[in-house]
Amino acid sequence: MNTVFRLNRRRFLTTSAIVTGAAMLPFSSTLWAAAAAQKGGTLRISVDQAVGMLNPLLARVNPEYLLSELLYNGLTRLSQDMQAEPDLAQSWSHNSDLTEWTFTLRGNLKFHDGSACTAKDVAASLQAVLDPKTASPGLRNIGPIKSVEALDDLHVKLTTTAPYADLPVSLAYPDAKIVPAAILQGDMTRLSREAIGTGPFKLVSFEPERMVVVTRNEHFYDPQRPHLDRVEIRVYPDPASEGSALMSGDIDLMLSAQATEFTRLSEANGVKGLRVASGQFLNINMGCDQPPFNDVRVRQALSLCVDRSAMVDFVAEGFGTPGNDTPLNAAYRYYSDIALRQANLTKAKQLLADAGYPNGLDITLVASDKPSTRTQLGIAVREMAKPAGFNITVATMANSTYLDQVWKKGNFYVGFYNMQPSADAVFSLLYTSDAAWNETRWNNAEFDAAVAAARGTDDPVKRSALYATAQQLMHEQVPSLIPTFFDVLAAQRTYVQGYQLHPRGAVFRLDQTWLDDSAPKRG
Amino acid sequence: MPISTGEFNMRNVFYRLLATPQGLLGSLILLLAVVLVCAGPALAPFDPEAISILARYKAPSLVHWFGTDQLGRDIFSRLLIGARATISLSVLATAMAMLVGALLGTVSGYLGGRIDEALMRTLDAVMSIPTLLFALLIVSTLGRSDFNAVLAITIAFVPSMARIARSVALAARRQDYVNAAIARGESTVYIVVREMLPNIVAPIIVEATIRVAFAIMLFATLSFLGLGAQPPQPEWGLMVAEARRYFFQAPWMMLMPGLAIATVAIGFNLLGDGLRDALNPKGQRS
Amino acid sequence: MTAAYLTKRLLLVVYTLLIVSLLVFAITQLLPADAAVTLLGQSATPEALAALRARLGLDQPAWVQFSHWLMAVLHGDLGVSMRNGQPVLGSLLDALGRSLLLAGCSLLLMLLIAIPLGIVAAVRRGRPVDLIIGVLSYIGVSLPEFVTATLLVLLFADFWQLLPATGYVPLGDNFGEGIRHLILPTLTVSMIMVAHVSRMVRSEMIDVLETDYIRAARLKGLSRRRVLLRHALRNGLLPTITIVALDVGYLLGGIVVVEEIFNIPGIGRELLVAVAARDLPAIQGGVLILAATYCLVNFVADLAYAYLDRRIQYA
Repeated sequence: MNTVFRLNRRRFLTTSAIVTGAAMLPFSSTLWAAAAAQKGGTLRISVDQAVGMLNPLLARVNPEYLLSELLYNGLTRLSQDMQAEPDLAQSWSHNSDLTEWTFTLRGNLKFHDGSACTAKDVAASLQAVLDPKTASPGLRNIGPIKSVEALDDLHVKLTTTAPYADLPVSLAYPDAKIVPAAILQGDMTRLSREAIGTGPFKLVSFEPERMVVVTRNEHFYDPQRPHLDRVEIRVYPDPASEGSALMSGDIDLMLSAQATEFTRLSEANGVKGLRVASGQFLNINMGCDQPPFNDVRVRQALSLCVDRSAMVDFVAEGFGTPGNDTPLNAAYRYYSDIALRQANLTKAKQLLADAGYPNGLDITLVASDKPSTRTQLGIAVREMAKPAGFNITVATMANSTYLDQVWKKGNFYVGFYNMQPSADAVFSLLYTSDAAWNETRWNNAEFDAAVAAARGTDDPVKRSALYATAQQLMHEQVPSLIPTFFDVLAAQRTYVQGYQLHPRGAVFRLDQTWLDDSAPKRG
Repeated sequence: MPISTGEFNMRNVFYRLLATPQGLLGSLILLLAVVLVCAGPALAPFDPEAISILARYKAPSLVHWFGTDQLGRDIFSRLLIGARATISLSVLATAMAMLVGALLGTVSGYLGGRIDEALMRTLDAVMSIPTLLFALLIVSTLGRSDFNAVLAITIAFVPSMARIARSVALAARRQDYVNAAIARGESTVYIVVREMLPNIVAPIIVEATIRVAFAIMLFATLSFLGLGAQPPQPEWGLMVAEARRYFFQAPWMMLMPGLAIATVAIGFNLLGDGLRDALNPKGQRS
Repeated sequence: MTAAYLTKRLLLVVYTLLIVSLLVFAITQLLPADAAVTLLGQSATPEALAALRARLGLDQPAWVQFSHWLMAVLHGDLGVSMRNGQPVLGSLLDALGRSLLLAGCSLLLMLLIAIPLGIVAAVRRGRPVDLIIGVLSYIGVSLPEFVTATLLVLLFADFWQLLPATGYVPLGDNFGEGIRHLILPTLTVSMIMVAHVSRMVRSEMIDVLETDYIRAARLKGLSRRRVLLRHALRNGLLPTITIVALDVGYLLGGIVVVEEIFNIPGIGRELLVAVAARDLPAIQGGVLILAATYCLVNFVADLAYAYLDRRIQYA
């Protein structure tokens, strides 16, 4: 009796998370404050790879983003529906053509060592991110910033190279964290050994391959937060043992769960599965500047071979949404609902023949081994494209070799991307002609124009139309084959409250998490 | 221990081998392995690469004898194809190591003195790097593929094979027939190749057979760590590695290749023991 | 144990470590993609790569890098990790400690199980007990560790919920929990060795039991048990020690799979990660420490061997 009820309730909770995520209902953080948050307790989180980098400007993977969120703050941060929320900046304004932005900081900001955090630190930090010598991943991602100026202790002015409506959102990028100017001007390597930030937690111990421990910052700018006393981040490289640890209660929260484990985890005693539709995707990139993919008919032929709904099952175990060869799905604002492309093998064969390959085409598809879904996708596409005459060989290689030899250079390989905070972010990152990661070398002038115009206005109607054009172009010309989006999956013990899975995949907001009375008391 | 050509009669050895339970069972498994390697692809009921959305995660049944995997591929067919990679590559690695090691060890044992000392110390040094790590380094350097894993395993096995060859060679060197050859004025090469090697072959073959079992497991472990065969190859170790995350939905995905690995490894172990007994009928060891 | 012998052994160890370091360094120079590429990942630009390489010292010629490293090692400094700037020696020694703990427990468990099993099988040769032990040994030797590990975790941790699935609580923190977390990994590691060593012990014991030496002892009227324990056992154990010493190399590096599955941050896993990240100081340091441990263990094994067989002389 009871088990049936419990299962139903759990299913309801997970379903409602999907509904909220997919429909993008406006979500306010005050809703969570309504349930009385309790102070205290230690939260144990498991991550699936080492937290190698303590320096927040150089964080590159989710565990590192998690740690830097605990120890540092940026000017803004992302809310559940991808809007910019105040963090260190309490408000901002801009000029009429969106090229000058002024951010006003809160008044009581202090670093963990007691020194004040002022606009000078903000300016120095952002400049460090923008400096090529720092080699921060944020360089290309925090927006087209020309200059950063500290007007006085509490005001920072940013000037962009072109009108840019999404600046507050792009400043929420995980690497754009504020560190003391003194360290940046002195010995920057200190950032790899110490953590002097403004964040809700302070660093206690750092063993990158095993465990990182942080404790509550009593002088955090918001006295209501954080609720937890302590957070322990534990590294579990093996997903099966990570799952076992959660189910046995050694771990309270699993940062990300694999699709194959998710059902089992959700049904375990005392465990709640978390799921939200996200724009995370795999793309099969085709080099548009050389044969065979410089001919749009070949690309279209390949895209017509794929059964996209089946692909969601094959690659995402059903935890995903079908893709239409654009990097946007319903989880993004400005998503334009184009009819899903259906498989049509006869047309595919015809197109290939028209393009000059009546007897089929032999090509090699390269997939890095991280994550393993790249190879899965490769295999599935290979089989689906066989009847049309594509003879694909799937070659897997180590991620480091792939980055060194294939990425951006090869003409047929599988890429993998987390959801970006905005449509502009993902288009400018990957598909415009001047994109830093222009994997396909598609270089379409009409597309560039639409994206550039859209980023320069903050009129939602105009932006909607421009982005619709951009998506239509990508859907028709298929520089990348994007058949599937993945839901973001995680799992937690039922006594963890206030944790919400964020579709971006890189935002965690643990300062709002708390443990209820049924949580075990740990020393 | 030298065996004169009279006793070292293939037929006798063969019969003695089959007389023991280990030898019999081991030989049967070896036969099965040979059949799989040669005729595997022809015997496969399904196309091992064919994916099918309707046939995912099917339990073993009359249609799919060993069930299907996450892409709907027939596991039995994949096992048959994978036998080629797993078995023949492990045998290849061991055979190559055996050849190189036997040569190195015999030459070193024959020459003796400083050269022997230097060579053995260097081989000892190489042996102090754990096999798996050494293989890991080599594979990372050469690129991840099954052939490079073979190379890695070969290089890792050579030192111990050489050591064994050497100790047997040392014992053999003192025998009369070697001294007689020296007295006759035969060249070093002749002595090593024509006089010593044939008598060293027997213990080395025994060791090699057991090594094949170890190579199979090592190969599977390398693939498990992502360093050997790469997806989508149906190599057995790789199949186990990929199947681990599906264990709760489809345990047969992992159990079938695991059993296959274990069976073949057991077979080679049994064969090795049987050969050892068959080649040394008095139960003495050199 | 003369001074000359000890000096010779020491020189040998130094030679071994030098060869090992050279060999590994040579291999790492051939690795595609260096630490700069893996650290920067997709945010690599030519300037960033160049800057990082200069900072890490990767832009210098190979022999310069190696000699710098060697000089530092002779002063006891193994450098800092390219991944996270932490000193290599400290983190590797910690990791080694954990691996040694696991290895030590496994060895102990293995000896406690394998030796009696081998003796029983030898003494009751040909009887059902021998057969059963034989079959179990074959199976034990033929299952790769990752299969055993996964099955054990599934049985004991998930199904029966008797033991924790993950492998590491420092014994200093909580002895009881620490031991509980070590049980499954120890079982996994020792299984293969138990199978291997018990078969070895069995065949050695069979040989020894048939020698003249033993027959003479029996004729002298000594009881069977006494003969077994005092004479046969000692001689039968000699090759076992050799095998065990050789196995230590396998233990320390090869249990990387077990360390991965049970989440024990041991030295095998550290090296795996270091190679994937092309973290040269960590790779060099790790292999050096492993090789040194291997040499040390072999030395101890030789001493044990000599003690047990007083007839063997060392010049």
